[in-house]
Amino acid sequence: MKPLSRRQVLRGMLGSALITVPLPFLPSLGRRGQARAAEGVFPTRFGNFNWGNGMVPEHWTPATTGAGWAPSRLLAPLARHTDVLSVVSGYEVKVPNISPHTSGKFGFLTGIDPNRGSGDGTYALGPTFDQIIAAAIGGTTPFRSIECGVTSEQVISWNGPNAGNPTQADPAALFRRLFGDSFRPPGSDAPPDPKLALRQSVLDVVTGHLGTLKGQLGRDDATRLEQHLDGIREIERRIAQLQLPTPALDACVPPTVEPSNPAAFKERHAVMTDLMVTALACDQTRVFTYVFSEHNNNWVYDGLKDGHHRMTHDELGDQPGVQECVLQIMEQLALFLDALRAVPEGDGTLLDHCALLCSSDVSLGRLHALDEFPTMIAGGANGALRTGIHVRSEVGASAAAIPLTLMRAVGVRAASFGEDDCMETESIGELEA
Amino acid sequence: MRAALFVLMLSACGTAAPPAEPLVDLGDVPLDPGPAVTSRLSRAQYAASVEALFGSGITLSVALEPDTRVDGLAALGAGISATSPSGVEEYEVASYEVATQALSPERREAWMPCVPAATVDEDCARVTLASLARRAWRRPVTDGEVDALVAVTSGAASTLNDFWGGLEYGIAAVLQSPYFLYRPEIGEADPNGGRRRTSFELATRLSYLITDGPPDSALLDAAEAGELDTTEGLEAQARRLIASPEARRGMRAWLTDVLKLDALDHLDKDPELFPNISATLGASAREETLRLGEYVAFDKDTDLRTLLTTRTTFVDRELAAVYRVQAPSLDAFAQIELPAKGERRGLLGQVSFLASHSHSTATSATLRGQAIRESLLCSPLPPPPAGVNTSIPATDAERPTLRDRVTAHLADPSCASCHTRMDLIGLPLENFDAIGRWRDDEAGYPIDASGTLDGVDFRGLSEMADLLAADPMLTDCLVLQVVRRALGRAPGDGEDEMVDALRARFDQQDARLQPLWLDLVRSPMFRRLESP
Repeated sequence: MKPLSRRQVLRGMLGSALITVPLPFLPSLGRRGQARAAEGVFPTRFGNFNWGNGMVPEHWTPATTGAGWAPSRLLAPLARHTDVLSVVSGYEVKVPNISPHTSGKFGFLTGIDPNRGSGDGTYALGPTFDQIIAAAIGGTTPFRSIECGVTSEQVISWNGPNAGNPTQADPAALFRRLFGDSFRPPGSDAPPDPKLALRQSVLDVVTGHLGTLKGQLGRDDATRLEQHLDGIREIERRIAQLQLPTPALDACVPPTVEPSNPAAFKERHAVMTDLMVTALACDQTRVFTYVFSEHNNNWVYDGLKDGHHRMTHDELGDQPGVQECVLQIMEQLALFLDALRAVPEGDGTLLDHCALLCSSDVSLGRLHALDEFPTMIAGGANGALRTGIHVRSEVGASAAAIPLTLMRAVGVRAASFGEDDCMETESIGELEA
Repeated sequence: MRAALFVLMLSACGTAAPPAEPLVDLGDVPLDPGPAVTSRLSRAQYAASVEALFGSGITLSVALEPDTRVDGLAALGAGISATSPSGVEEYEVASYEVATQALSPERREAWMPCVPAATVDEDCARVTLASLARRAWRRPVTDGEVDALVAVTSGAASTLNDFWGGLEYGIAAVLQSPYFLYRPEIGEADPNGGRRRTSFELATRLSYLITDGPPDSALLDAAEAGELDTTEGLEAQARRLIASPEARRGMRAWLTDVLKLDALDHLDKDPELFPNISATLGASAREETLRLGEYVAFDKDTDLRTLLTTRTTFVDRELAAVYRVQAPSLDAFAQIELPAKGERRGLLGQVSFLASHSHSTATSATLRGQAIRESLLCSPLPPPPAGVNTSIPATDAERPTLRDRVTAHLADPSCASCHTRMDLIGLPLENFDAIGRWRDDEAGYPIDASGTLDGVDFRGLSEMADLLAADPMLTDCLVLQVVRRALGRAPGDGEDEMVDALRARFDQQDARLQPLWLDLVRSPMFRRLESP
C-alpha cells in the first residue's frame, strides 16, 4: 500500500468522521493495542486539560528524572498524585514563534505552524489531535467528543481551518446536553422513543439539502457543508444508539438536578469537573477537551492584586505573583484528578483508564517561550502508559512526540504526527508500558 | 488619490455646500468582480429570521454556536467558518424549540394560512410549509422540496396522532435546512456577460446588509417579479428598507461588529478598585454606543465622523454615575450633552471603548491604541516578534505612571516601531481609568495626556478626536468596514477602484451612512460575480 500523505489523511478525516483514520499501520503497536483491548473491560479515554499563560520553567521542572520524582515548587499541589502523573519536560514546540500564545497552543495540538501559508495564527490549520483520537475511538459513545470547561471565549479543539469546536462553559447547558431528556441511563432496555424515528426523518431531508447544495457551491463551501454533514451524522449515530439497550455501568451516577452556573471561576470549575467526570463514568464520551483557563486571561487569583496574563509580562524578577497563579492552577488540576480517581472502575479507578494530557500554550509567559513546554500526562491509558515518572529531553526534542505517544497509547494507528519541522515519527519509549 | 481625497474631505467636512466635483458614476468605474460568499447566519440574524417568520418573543434554552471573528469582523468569519458537530446539535435543538412555540395556540393563528381539518391534513400542511419555506429559504421552493416536508409532517402526524405535533417536524426540517442556516450564493449567467447574483441572492444580501434580517414579503415579491434586475429597481427596495425601522438594527449590527461591542458581555473588572462595576454596566455601555450610532446615522442622518467628536450621548443611571453627571432619568436611557469644554467626547470617551480596551485592574495605552488602529483606521498591527521580552518596567519611584513605564519600553527600537503607533494614541486617554471614569492623576502623580498621531502632536482625547475625524484613513476605513460587511469578505484587487469610488462619493456626501449604503447597493460590485 502506498502510504498516504499527511494531507490526504487529514482530508480523509474531515470528509468522513466515522471512518477510521487511514494512517499507515505499525504492526507491532497494532498487535499490542489489540491484545490490550481483549483484556480490558473498561474503555480507554483521552482528555486534554488546558490552562492559559504557561508557567515558570525554573520552578516547574522536577530535580530528578525517572520514577519517584519529587514535586518541584510549582508542582507541589500535585504531590498526592505523583504516582499517577508523569511529567514530560524539556520538549519544544518546533513552529516559528510568530503569534504569541497561539503559535504554541495550535502548533502543539496540531503539529502545524498556524502561520503557515494563508494562516494568520488565529485558528488551527489542521485538526487538533483530540479530534484525530475522537475519529478513531469516539464512535461508540453518544458523543464523539466533548469540549467544555470554565471559560468559553477561545476555541482549543479544531476539526480543521475555520472549523472550531467551541467550549461549553455553562454547566446547565452541558447538563442538558449530556443528561437531559435524551439521556438513556445505563442498564436501560426501555422501548425506543417513537420520536427518535421522526427526528431521523427530518435529518434525512436536511441531508438531502446539504448534498444538493454541496454540488452547487465552490470547493471551500462544499467542505464547510461536508463538515455540517459530519454533525448531522453524529446526531444520527446518537439516535440509533438511543434505540438500543444500554449496558450497566456501576460507576455511573447521573445527576438529576440542573446545576447552577457560579460566577466565581473556581466554583464553576468544581461544577464542570463533576459533570465531565460523570460523563466519562457514564460513558457518554471517551474524548474530551477541558479548558480550565485561556491564554491572555486576566483572572485575579486569590491573594493577588493583578490579572494573570498582565503579570506574566509586567512582573519582574522571579515573578512570585505568576508563580502563585500557577500554584493555584495546579491545585485546581489536583482537584480534577481527585475526581477522576474517586470513580472506581474494576480494580482501579477511572483515571487508570484515561490518558489525560495537561498542558498550556507557552512555557515562560513573559517571553511566550516554546522551549521547556509544560506537559504532564495523568493516568495510565489502561496500562499502555507508564505513570509516575519524569521524562526529560535535554536536547529540546520536538514536542510533537507527546501527541504521537498519546495517540498510539489510546489506540490510534499513527505513523507520524505534525508537519514540516514538527513532523515526528518516534513516540517517547520511556512513557510506553 | 489619497491627497486628492484629503482635500476633498477637508472641503466637504462639516459643510452642507454642494460638492465641487460631480459625483463619479459607479457604472463607469472599472471592476473585476469578486467571488460569491455563502455566509452563515449570525446568532442575531438567526433570531431576527425566526422573528420574521413567527413573531417576536420566541426563546431558546440552547445558545447557538458563537460567531467567529476573522480579520476583526464576525461578518467575515460568517463567510468561511464551518459549523461544529455541537453547533449542528444546537441547531437541531433550537429548531424544535422554535417549532413548538410557533405552533402554540396563541401564536399559530397569526402566521398559519389555514386551519387543519384532520389529524393528517396534507393540504393544510402543504400550504403552510410552502409559504413558510419560501420565506425561510428566501427563494421560491420546488414542488419536490415541499413534498418532502409534507411527507415528514404527515408521517409524524400519524405517529403522534396529532396534526400540530406532526407539523413541528415539518417546521424543524425547514429550520435545520442549510437553505435557512446559510445564505447560499450560487449565482447565474449575466445576460451582459460574466456572472451575477440571482434576484433572490441580491434580495437576501440587501436585506441582511440594511436590516440584519431576512427579506420581507415585498422584497421577495419584487425579486420574483424581476424588479431587482435593474439598478433602479434594486435601489427602490434599498431606499424602502433604509426608511424602515429595521435599518437601525442593521446599523447596530455593523457597529457592534466593527467595535467588538459583544465583548462587553464579559467585562471583567476588579470590584474593589472599581465600585461602579456591575453585571449590567457592560450592556448599558453597549447600548449607549448603539444609541449614539442611531442618533448620528438616522435621527440626524449626519457625518459618521461625528461619532468621534460629538458631545451628545445617551446614559442611564449607571453610566451617569461613571461620567459623574446628573442622571437624566431614573429608569431609562436619555440623551445628554457632555460639558462643552470637557475632554470627554465621542465614542472614544465612552465606557464601551475605554473599559473594553483596558485590563481588569488598570488601563492599557497599548490595547486602546491597537483598537483605534484596527477598528477605526483599518491598519492592524502585527503581533510582537517571538521571543522578545514584552514586559514593561514595574511601577517604582522613578517610574510612577504608566506613561513613564511605557516610555522606558519605547526606548527599545524593536518595540518602538509598532508601539509608537499604538501607545502614543493610547496614552492621551490616560485621564480615563480602566472603566472610563475621569481621573486627574495616577496614584497621586499628574497625568500627561500628550500624544502623537502620525507625526502630529496633540494633548488629550478632545484634540485627538478632531484629528482622527479629519484623518482620511478614518474615512477610508469606515467605507471599507461597510463594504466588508456587505460582501461578507474583503474586497479583492479587482474591486479596489470601486471601493475608492465609493470613498470619493462618501466624502462628497458628508460621510453619511445612508448614501453609502445606497451607493454600495447600486454599484456593480454588489450584483456581479467573478466567472469561475
